[in-house]
Amino acid sequence: MKVYERLSQAFKAEGTTNVFGMMGDGNMYWQYANQKNGIIMHEVRHEGVGLGMADGWARATRNPGVCTATCGPGTTQLATAFVTAARASSPVVAFCGEYPTSDDEYTQALDQSAFAHGCEAAFVRMGTADDADEAVRKAFYIARTQSRPVLLSVPMDLQQKTWEDDEPYVPSTAIIPKRTVTPSADAIAQAADVLSKAKRPVIVVGRGAMWSGAGDEIIKLAQRCGALIATTLQAKNWLVEDEYQIGISGTYATKTAIQLLSDSDVVVAIGASLNRYTTHEGLLYPEAKFIHIDPKAHVLLSRGKGADYYVQSDGKAGVAALEAELAKRNFKQLGYRTGAVKERLANAWEDRRDYKIDEGTVDPRPLCVELDDLLPTDISLFAGSGCTAGFTNILFRKARPMVMAGHFFGCIGQMMPAAVGAVIGTGMKPAVLMDGDASTMMHIGDFDTMVRYNVPLLIYCMNNECLGAEYYKLDAHKMAVETSCIPTADLGAVARAFGGRGALCRTVDEVKKATKEWLAKPGPMIIDVRVSRSVVPLTYRRIHYGEDE
Amino acid sequence: MIEVNERIEVASTPQAVWAILSDPSAVVECVEGAVLGEKQEDGSFNAKMAVKFGPAKISFNANVLVEYDEANQSGNVTARGKDGISGTKFNTTMQFKVEGQDTSPDNVLTAVPIKASCELNGRLAHLIESGANLVIKRMTTSFAEKLAERCGGTKTP
Repeated sequence: MKVYERLSQAFKAEGTTNVFGMMGDGNMYWQYANQKNGIIMHEVRHEGVGLGMADGWARATRNPGVCTATCGPGTTQLATAFVTAARASSPVVAFCGEYPTSDDEYTQALDQSAFAHGCEAAFVRMGTADDADEAVRKAFYIARTQSRPVLLSVPMDLQQKTWEDDEPYVPSTAIIPKRTVTPSADAIAQAADVLSKAKRPVIVVGRGAMWSGAGDEIIKLAQRCGALIATTLQAKNWLVEDEYQIGISGTYATKTAIQLLSDSDVVVAIGASLNRYTTHEGLLYPEAKFIHIDPKAHVLLSRGKGADYYVQSDGKAGVAALEAELAKRNFKQLGYRTGAVKERLANAWEDRRDYKIDEGTVDPRPLCVELDDLLPTDISLFAGSGCTAGFTNILFRKARPMVMAGHFFGCIGQMMPAAVGAVIGTGMKPAVLMDGDASTMMHIGDFDTMVRYNVPLLIYCMNNECLGAEYYKLDAHKMAVETSCIPTADLGAVARAFGGRGALCRTVDEVKKATKEWLAKPGPMIIDVRVSRSVVPLTYRRIHYGEDE
Repeated sequence: MIEVNERIEVASTPQAVWAILSDPSAVVECVEGAVLGEKQEDGSFNAKMAVKFGPAKISFNANVLVEYDEANQSGNVTARGKDGISGTKFNTTMQFKVEGQDTSPDNVLTAVPIKASCELNGRLAHLIESGANLVIKRMTTSFAEKLAERCGGTKTP
């Protein structure tokens, strides 16, 4: 057996079923072995898209996503996607070829360790052929235990050596202990002391709470202590079945939510990092005491502060214990859960600002609202970053199998790969992506990949033919907005040219018609919706224009 | 750096306008969200100032020093402050002068040219800088209106 064959066996034993990436001579033998081992390869048109897909796979399945690139120039293409995956805390293993150990002057030579370090990825190198098992195990161990991307660098010449060991591969899962972190009684008692004195409590839930399956316990706790429920951006639309779920805490909060959050006296954060965006640099909660429940030993909050009361615990176990402690004390109050508050929340998400809509374009706000109504709730939603997020992250409000939003590295164009990876990782169930024109154009070459694998993803390109974030920033600075304007072709026609489906729409009715056609037979599709630049997203009105709503 | 070059025109006499501007507590009353605190040994004042950036409110603890040139009816204001929650800091210098324009009995008009620069620092600063620019301009307009109101006149459009 060759080392590349053993490496493939090791990946399979680690649970790898799908790989995303592009072939080169640094990884082609391994890919060949993967094919023989029944591992499905998704060939992409850009290596970074492959890593983005593995990132989406990891976010959706909570299992390591796997991607591959050849040595040197193939690996450097992974840069932005690596940092994005690192910021998203995604367990990803990137199998990267490396230049031959015997040729320092190899054209594609690169210090891949330094590259990984610069991209915030862990680095594991197979230093000798005998280390194949250890290198793969270590890469997966780091990805799983530290929830981060790992660059596994494998020199091309070592892949061709003979593997002589016939012992079975021991996967990383065999050496990682499984245990749930349960809270200490003291920590729960302290948290209960504080929470039982709160008059206007708020519970902020993040991905950690979702992953621990704490939904029912959180609603029970909120009902007992009279708390509003707010989510982080990553947990968007979670627990919306609760009538006091007020949407996102942070930049995408509604005005009503901001007013209520600002008056809160105790915040219980569950599996949420409470970063600068979730707390709006702390300004959202000027007077509140913080109780933080998280399985990590400790989590530093925004501006290097710690919570007033920290409970190290799995989200579900911690919330259940806190609720039980309050029940034991016979504590129950209305708190924030009053009829008056419910009334204020009823239409809090509506954006009533009047704008004159540019001819032949759509107001993006009713577009989002109508699509949220039209799309059945078994259709997952992916929301890109950039200008469009100012609409989608507030106006799409329904619970769906997956709702994935996030800025992570603050880059555009990364949600399409993540959406494809997530859809493939969860059984090819239909999903939609709301994104902007610059994002869509960035990786439009990989719409071809969507077509080849018949990925049932509908991309709504909210096309204002400009770099939206910069457009409004330039406008606020009274600079020429045209600097940020870039016309695009008919992206529906582009989609059709790739062999998928596509439409160019200039009214909401046209969008709805095209959507219904897609719903009848989901597949790869782009709907190029021309949206009006005149409508400033609420978030930009606040940040760039200092306006209230 | 946010720079303001404004010219406030008030339908009031220069004497009435100077009477307000030469009294720090009266000036502060014209600034929305500002409250003057104790006078310090160096002649400066502590102050608190709440500024709304969008729906969020930033509460600054500030120190303000006003130096007057009575003969020229002008003044220099230096102010610096910090918000304890977001860590946002500001540093401002401002020069103003009271200029009589037309003092005929039926057309009283005083102009106050204001030149100011404001530097915001802290992590929030770069995020809100363009918005802050507009907020400060709106505050200047509000200041002019309140000043005119206190002078018993009206701000000219």
